[in-house]
Amino acid sequence: MNGYLEILLRSISFILFLFLITKLVGKKQISQLTLFEYVSGITIGSIAGEVVTGLEQNYLQGALAVFIFGLVTFLTDTISLKSKKFRDIVEGSGTVIIKDGKLLEDNLKKEKYTIDNISTLLRQNNVFKVADVEFAVLEPQGKLSVLLKKENRPLTPKDLQMKVPNEKEPFTIIMDGKIIDDALRWSGKGRGWLYTELEKMNATLDNVFLGQVDSYGELTLDLYDDKIQVPQPQQRPLLLASLKKTQADLEIFSLSTECEKSKAMYKKNAAILQEMINKMEPYLNG
Amino acid sequence: MTIASNVKQCLATIRGIESQLSSLALNSLDEEAKAIFHESAMTIETVKKDLQFRVLELERQEPQYKGS
Repeated sequence: MNGYLEILLRSISFILFLFLITKLVGKKQISQLTLFEYVSGITIGSIAGEVVTGLEQNYLQGALAVFIFGLVTFLTDTISLKSKKFRDIVEGSGTVIIKDGKLLEDNLKKEKYTIDNISTLLRQNNVFKVADVEFAVLEPQGKLSVLLKKENRPLTPKDLQMKVPNEKEPFTIIMDGKIIDDALRWSGKGRGWLYTELEKMNATLDNVFLGQVDSYGELTLDLYDDKIQVPQPQQRPLLLASLKKTQADLEIFSLSTECEKSKAMYKKNAAILQEMINKMEPYLNG
Repeated sequence: MTIASNVKQCLATIRGIESQLSSLALNSLDEEAKAIFHESAMTIETVKKDLQFRVLELERQEPQYKGS
Protein backbone atom coordinates (compact mmCIF):
# COMPACT_ATOMS: atom_id res chain seq x y z
CA MET A 1 0.00 0.00 0.00
CA ASN A 2 2.88 2.30 0.82
CA GLY A 3 4.13 1.89 -2.78
CA TYR A 4 0.84 3.12 -4.24
CA LEU A 5 0.79 6.13 -2.00
CA GLU A 6 4.34 6.95 -2.97
CA ILE A 7 3.53 6.73 -6.68
CA LEU A 8 0.58 9.05 -6.09
CA LEU A 9 2.72 11.62 -4.33
CA ARG A 10 5.55 11.32 -6.85
CA SER A 11 3.16 11.70 -9.79
CA ILE A 12 1.44 14.76 -8.45
CA SER A 13 4.64 16.50 -7.44
CA PHE A 14 6.28 15.66 -10.77
CA ILE A 15 3.33 16.98 -12.75
CA LEU A 16 3.68 20.28 -10.92
CA PHE A 17 7.45 20.25 -11.39
CA LEU A 18 7.22 19.51 -15.13
CA PHE A 19 4.60 22.25 -15.45
CA LEU A 20 7.05 24.73 -13.91
CA ILE A 21 9.91 23.58 -16.15
CA THR A 22 7.77 23.90 -19.28
CA LYS A 23 6.68 27.39 -18.21
CA LEU A 24 10.34 28.30 -17.73
CA VAL A 25 11.39 27.18 -21.20
CA GLY A 26 8.24 28.52 -22.80
CA LYS A 27 6.23 27.84 -25.92
CA LYS A 28 9.31 27.03 -27.94
CA GLN A 29 9.77 23.76 -26.08
CA ILE A 30 6.30 22.59 -27.03
CA SER A 31 6.68 23.44 -30.70
CA GLN A 32 10.03 21.52 -30.70
CA LEU A 33 11.40 23.82 -33.36
CA THR A 34 15.02 22.86 -32.93
CA LEU A 35 16.90 19.62 -32.57
CA PHE A 36 17.87 20.56 -29.05
CA GLU A 37 14.30 20.98 -27.83
CA TYR A 38 13.30 17.77 -29.54
CA VAL A 39 15.96 15.79 -27.69
CA SER A 40 15.42 17.47 -24.32
CA GLY A 41 11.66 17.02 -24.64
CA ILE A 42 11.95 13.30 -25.11
CA THR A 43 14.56 12.93 -22.38
CA ILE A 44 12.65 14.93 -19.79
CA GLY A 45 9.60 12.80 -20.52
CA SER A 46 11.37 9.50 -20.07
CA ILE A 47 13.22 10.61 -16.94
CA ALA A 48 9.93 11.70 -15.41
CA GLY A 49 8.29 8.37 -16.28
CA GLU A 50 11.21 6.44 -14.90
CA VAL A 51 11.29 8.35 -11.61
CA VAL A 52 7.55 8.23 -11.00
CA THR A 53 7.16 4.49 -11.42
CA GLY A 54 10.62 3.18 -10.45
CA LEU A 55 10.31 3.20 -6.69
CA GLU A 56 13.87 2.07 -6.01
CA GLN A 57 15.24 5.16 -7.74
CA ASN A 58 16.08 8.31 -5.88
CA TYR A 59 13.39 10.88 -6.42
CA LEU A 60 15.52 13.96 -5.97
CA GLN A 61 18.21 12.75 -8.37
CA GLY A 62 15.59 12.36 -11.06
CA ALA A 63 14.21 15.80 -10.35
CA LEU A 64 17.72 17.22 -10.61
CA ALA A 65 18.22 15.60 -14.04
CA VAL A 66 14.96 17.04 -15.31
CA PHE A 67 15.90 20.42 -13.93
CA ILE A 68 19.31 20.32 -15.66
CA PHE A 69 17.74 19.44 -19.01
CA GLY A 70 15.25 22.24 -18.63
CA LEU A 71 17.92 24.72 -17.58
CA VAL A 72 20.29 23.85 -20.43
CA THR A 73 17.47 24.21 -22.95
CA PHE A 74 16.59 27.55 -21.40
CA LEU A 75 20.22 28.70 -21.55
CA THR A 76 20.71 27.63 -25.17
CA ASP A 77 17.54 29.48 -26.11
CA THR A 78 18.81 32.61 -24.37
CA ILE A 79 22.27 32.44 -25.98
CA SER A 80 20.68 31.70 -29.37
CA LEU A 81 18.87 35.03 -29.14
CA LYS A 82 22.22 36.83 -28.85
CA SER A 83 24.52 34.97 -31.23
CA LYS A 84 23.85 34.00 -34.81
CA LYS A 85 26.87 31.66 -34.93
CA PHE A 86 25.68 29.74 -31.87
CA ARG A 87 22.23 29.55 -33.37
CA ASP A 88 23.53 28.03 -36.59
CA ILE A 89 25.35 25.29 -34.68
CA VAL A 90 22.59 24.44 -32.21
CA GLU A 91 19.46 24.96 -34.24
CA GLY A 92 20.76 24.01 -37.66
CA SER A 93 19.52 25.60 -40.84
CA GLY A 94 17.27 24.52 -43.65
CA THR A 95 18.52 22.60 -46.70
CA VAL A 96 17.37 23.69 -50.13
CA ILE A 97 15.89 20.67 -51.90
CA ILE A 98 14.30 22.26 -54.97
CA LYS A 99 15.58 25.40 -56.62
CA ASP A 100 14.36 27.00 -59.87
CA GLY A 101 12.05 24.01 -60.23
CA LYS A 102 14.93 21.49 -60.19
CA LEU A 103 15.66 18.86 -57.55
CA LEU A 104 19.11 19.26 -56.00
CA GLU A 105 20.32 15.65 -55.80
CA ASP A 106 23.49 16.48 -53.84
CA ASN A 107 21.53 18.07 -51.01
CA LEU A 108 19.10 15.14 -51.00
CA LYS A 109 21.99 12.76 -50.60
CA LYS A 110 23.49 14.86 -47.82
CA GLU A 111 20.25 14.70 -45.84
CA LYS A 112 19.77 11.00 -46.65
CA TYR A 113 16.34 11.60 -48.14
CA THR A 114 15.16 9.33 -50.93
CA ILE A 115 13.00 10.64 -53.75
CA ASP A 116 10.09 8.73 -52.18
CA ASN A 117 10.51 10.64 -48.92
CA ILE A 118 10.49 13.93 -50.77
CA SER A 119 7.41 12.90 -52.78
CA THR A 120 5.60 12.09 -49.53
CA LEU A 121 6.52 15.44 -48.00
CA LEU A 122 5.45 17.25 -51.16
CA ARG A 123 2.11 15.43 -51.17
CA GLN A 124 1.55 16.50 -47.56
CA ASN A 125 1.84 20.04 -48.92
CA ASN A 126 -0.79 19.20 -51.56
CA VAL A 127 1.79 19.13 -54.33
CA PHE A 128 1.66 16.12 -56.60
CA LYS A 129 3.85 17.36 -59.40
CA VAL A 130 7.45 18.34 -58.77
CA ALA A 131 7.32 20.59 -61.84
CA ASP A 132 4.82 22.88 -60.01
CA VAL A 133 7.39 23.77 -57.36
CA GLU A 134 9.70 26.74 -57.70
CA PHE A 135 11.56 26.39 -54.42
CA ALA A 136 11.47 23.99 -51.47
CA VAL A 137 13.42 23.91 -48.21
CA LEU A 138 13.79 21.06 -45.77
CA GLU A 139 13.44 22.68 -42.35
CA PRO A 140 15.62 21.61 -39.37
CA GLN A 141 12.70 19.78 -37.75
CA GLY A 142 12.17 17.68 -40.89
CA LYS A 143 9.23 19.52 -42.43
CA LEU A 144 9.23 20.62 -46.05
CA SER A 145 8.32 24.21 -46.92
CA VAL A 146 7.23 24.74 -50.50
CA LEU A 147 6.99 27.84 -52.67
CA LEU A 148 4.90 27.11 -55.75
CA LYS A 149 5.48 28.71 -59.11
CA LYS A 150 3.52 31.94 -59.47
CA GLU A 151 0.94 30.46 -61.85
CA ASN A 152 0.19 27.61 -59.44
CA ARG A 153 -0.39 29.76 -56.38
CA PRO A 154 -3.94 30.45 -55.20
CA LEU A 155 -5.54 33.52 -56.68
CA THR A 156 -5.64 36.56 -54.40
CA PRO A 157 -7.52 39.86 -54.72
CA LYS A 158 -4.16 41.47 -55.41
CA ASP A 159 -3.71 39.30 -58.51
CA LEU A 160 -7.07 40.52 -59.76
CA GLN A 161 -6.12 44.11 -58.89
CA MET A 162 -9.20 44.32 -56.71
CA LYS A 163 -9.35 46.77 -53.87
CA VAL A 164 -10.45 45.06 -50.68
CA PRO A 165 -10.80 46.94 -47.43
CA ASN A 166 -8.68 45.93 -44.49
CA GLU A 167 -10.49 44.22 -41.62
CA LYS A 168 -9.48 44.16 -38.02
CA GLU A 169 -9.68 40.99 -35.94
CA PRO A 170 -13.10 40.19 -34.45
CA PHE A 171 -13.50 40.26 -30.69
CA THR A 172 -15.32 37.61 -28.67
CA ILE A 173 -17.31 39.67 -26.21
CA ILE A 174 -19.81 37.10 -24.89
CA MET A 175 -18.90 33.59 -23.78
CA ASP A 176 -21.29 31.18 -22.04
CA GLY A 177 -23.75 33.98 -21.37
CA LYS A 178 -21.15 36.16 -19.68
CA ILE A 179 -19.78 39.46 -20.93
CA ILE A 180 -16.01 39.53 -21.40
CA ASP A 181 -15.34 43.08 -20.29
CA ASP A 182 -11.72 43.23 -21.44
CA ALA A 183 -12.59 42.25 -25.00
CA LEU A 184 -15.49 44.67 -24.96
CA ARG A 185 -13.14 47.48 -24.07
CA TRP A 186 -10.59 46.48 -26.75
CA SER A 187 -13.33 46.57 -29.34
CA GLY A 188 -14.07 50.14 -28.29
CA LYS A 189 -17.63 49.43 -27.15
CA GLY A 190 -19.41 49.53 -23.85
CA ARG A 191 -22.02 47.52 -22.00
CA GLY A 192 -24.73 50.01 -22.94
CA TRP A 193 -24.03 49.47 -26.62
CA LEU A 194 -24.09 45.68 -26.13
CA TYR A 195 -27.45 45.70 -24.34
CA THR A 196 -28.95 47.83 -27.12
CA GLU A 197 -27.64 45.47 -29.79
CA LEU A 198 -28.95 42.42 -27.92
CA GLU A 199 -32.35 44.02 -27.63
CA LYS A 200 -32.32 44.82 -31.35
CA MET A 201 -31.70 41.13 -32.07
CA ASN A 202 -34.30 40.01 -29.56
CA ALA A 203 -31.84 37.97 -27.49
CA THR A 204 -31.24 37.81 -23.77
CA LEU A 205 -27.71 37.74 -22.44
CA ASP A 206 -28.01 34.39 -20.63
CA ASN A 207 -29.20 32.68 -23.81
CA VAL A 208 -26.08 33.69 -25.74
CA PHE A 209 -23.40 31.02 -26.00
CA LEU A 210 -21.00 33.06 -28.12
CA GLY A 211 -21.07 36.65 -29.30
CA GLN A 212 -18.49 38.26 -31.55
CA VAL A 213 -18.17 41.81 -32.82
CA ASP A 214 -16.43 42.44 -36.12
CA SER A 215 -14.42 45.28 -37.60
CA TYR A 216 -17.57 47.22 -38.56
CA GLY A 217 -19.11 46.99 -35.09
CA GLU A 218 -21.63 44.35 -36.18
CA LEU A 219 -22.61 41.75 -33.61
CA THR A 220 -23.04 38.06 -34.50
CA LEU A 221 -24.57 35.70 -31.95
CA ASP A 222 -24.79 31.99 -31.37
CA LEU A 223 -27.59 31.06 -28.99
CA TYR A 224 -27.98 28.07 -26.67
CA ASP A 225 -31.41 27.54 -28.14
CA ASP A 226 -30.67 26.43 -31.71
CA LYS A 227 -34.31 26.62 -32.73
CA ILE A 228 -34.32 30.40 -32.56
CA GLN A 229 -33.19 32.10 -35.76
CA VAL A 230 -30.75 34.90 -35.08
CA PRO A 231 -30.85 37.70 -37.64
CA GLN A 232 -27.55 38.07 -39.47
CA PRO A 233 -26.16 41.60 -39.57
CA GLN A 234 -27.67 43.21 -42.68
CA GLN A 235 -26.95 46.85 -42.06
CA ARG A 236 -24.25 47.37 -44.69
CA PRO A 237 -25.85 45.49 -47.62
CA LEU A 238 -29.12 47.30 -46.85
CA LEU A 239 -27.33 50.62 -46.80
CA LEU A 240 -25.80 49.86 -50.19
CA ALA A 241 -29.24 48.99 -51.56
CA SER A 242 -30.80 52.21 -50.29
CA LEU A 243 -27.90 54.22 -51.71
CA LYS A 244 -28.52 52.65 -55.10
CA LYS A 245 -32.26 53.29 -54.81
CA THR A 246 -31.70 56.96 -53.97
CA GLN A 247 -29.33 57.33 -56.89
CA ALA A 248 -31.96 55.86 -59.25
CA ASP A 249 -34.66 58.12 -57.77
CA LEU A 250 -32.56 61.21 -58.45
CA GLU A 251 -32.04 60.08 -62.05
CA ILE A 252 -35.81 59.71 -62.47
CA PHE A 253 -36.46 63.16 -60.96
CA SER A 254 -33.94 64.69 -63.32
CA LEU A 255 -35.75 63.12 -66.29
CA SER A 256 -39.26 64.03 -65.20
CA THR A 257 -38.81 67.61 -64.11
CA GLU A 258 -39.29 70.46 -66.54
CA CYS A 259 -37.46 73.09 -64.57
CA GLU A 260 -33.97 73.34 -66.13
CA LYS A 261 -32.30 74.44 -62.91
CA SER A 262 -33.67 71.49 -60.91
CA LYS A 263 -32.81 69.12 -63.75
CA ALA A 264 -29.16 70.18 -63.46
CA MET A 265 -29.28 69.89 -59.67
CA TYR A 266 -30.72 66.35 -59.75
CA LYS A 267 -28.16 65.30 -62.38
CA LYS A 268 -25.27 66.66 -60.37
CA ASN A 269 -26.39 64.92 -57.18
CA ALA A 270 -27.06 61.64 -58.98
CA ALA A 271 -23.47 61.77 -60.27
CA ILE A 272 -22.18 62.50 -56.75
CA LEU A 273 -24.09 59.49 -55.38
CA GLN A 274 -22.86 57.23 -58.18
CA GLU A 275 -19.28 58.16 -57.41
CA MET A 276 -19.92 57.50 -53.73
CA ILE A 277 -21.46 54.08 -54.44
CA ASN A 278 -18.40 53.09 -56.48
CA LYS A 279 -16.11 54.14 -53.66
CA MET A 280 -18.12 52.47 -50.88
CA GLU A 281 -19.00 49.21 -52.58
CA PRO A 282 -16.02 47.21 -51.23
CA TYR A 283 -16.88 48.35 -47.70
CA LEU A 284 -20.58 47.65 -47.91
CA ASN A 285 -20.56 44.24 -49.58
CA GLY A 286 -21.39 41.69 -46.86
CA MET B 1 -48.40 60.17 -55.49
CA THR B 2 -47.14 63.55 -56.55
CA ILE B 3 -43.61 64.52 -57.41
CA ALA B 4 -43.49 66.52 -54.19
CA SER B 5 -44.19 63.49 -52.02
CA ASN B 6 -41.73 61.37 -54.02
CA VAL B 7 -38.99 63.91 -53.47
CA LYS B 8 -39.89 64.04 -49.78
CA GLN B 9 -39.63 60.28 -49.54
CA CYS B 10 -36.24 60.37 -51.21
CA LEU B 11 -35.14 63.05 -48.75
CA ALA B 12 -36.18 60.82 -45.86
CA THR B 13 -34.13 57.92 -47.27
CA ILE B 14 -31.14 60.22 -47.61
CA ARG B 15 -31.51 61.27 -43.97
CA GLY B 16 -31.55 57.58 -43.01
CA ILE B 17 -28.44 56.88 -45.08
CA GLU B 18 -26.63 59.80 -43.49
CA SER B 19 -27.33 58.61 -39.97
CA GLN B 20 -26.33 55.02 -40.80
CA LEU B 21 -23.07 56.23 -42.32
CA SER B 22 -22.32 58.26 -39.20
CA SER B 23 -23.02 55.28 -36.95
CA LEU B 24 -20.79 53.05 -39.11
CA ALA B 25 -18.05 55.67 -38.94
CA LEU B 26 -18.27 55.62 -35.15
CA ASN B 27 -18.48 51.84 -34.80
CA SER B 28 -15.79 50.76 -37.26
CA LEU B 29 -12.36 49.85 -35.92
CA ASP B 30 -10.31 50.22 -39.09
CA GLU B 31 -9.10 53.80 -39.49
CA GLU B 32 -9.41 53.80 -43.27
CA ALA B 33 -13.00 52.52 -43.17
CA LYS B 34 -13.81 55.12 -40.50
CA ALA B 35 -12.46 57.89 -42.75
CA ILE B 36 -14.38 56.66 -45.82
CA PHE B 37 -17.68 56.41 -43.90
CA HIS B 38 -17.17 59.84 -42.39
CA GLU B 39 -16.31 61.41 -45.74
CA SER B 40 -19.38 59.83 -47.36
CA ALA B 41 -21.60 61.13 -44.57
CA MET B 42 -20.32 64.64 -45.36
CA THR B 43 -20.91 64.18 -49.09
CA ILE B 44 -24.45 62.98 -48.59
CA GLU B 45 -25.12 66.00 -46.42
CA THR B 46 -24.56 68.30 -49.42
CA VAL B 47 -27.00 66.19 -51.46
CA LYS B 48 -29.47 66.44 -48.59
CA LYS B 49 -29.22 70.26 -48.55
CA ASP B 50 -29.95 70.48 -52.30
CA LEU B 51 -32.99 68.26 -51.93
CA GLN B 52 -34.27 70.16 -48.91
CA PHE B 53 -34.11 73.34 -50.92
CA ARG B 54 -36.01 71.68 -53.78
CA VAL B 55 -38.71 70.45 -51.40
CA LEU B 56 -39.28 74.00 -50.17
CA GLU B 57 -39.50 75.16 -53.78
CA LEU B 58 -42.04 72.46 -54.62
CA GLU B 59 -44.14 73.32 -51.58
CA ARG B 60 -44.25 76.92 -52.73
CA GLN B 61 -45.35 75.92 -56.21
CA GLU B 62 -47.92 73.36 -55.08
CA PRO B 63 -49.18 74.64 -51.74
CA GLN B 64 -51.96 72.05 -51.62
CA TYR B 65 -49.35 69.31 -50.92
CA LYS B 66 -47.64 71.20 -48.14
CA GLY B 67 -46.76 68.96 -45.25
CA SER B 68 -47.81 65.77 -47.00
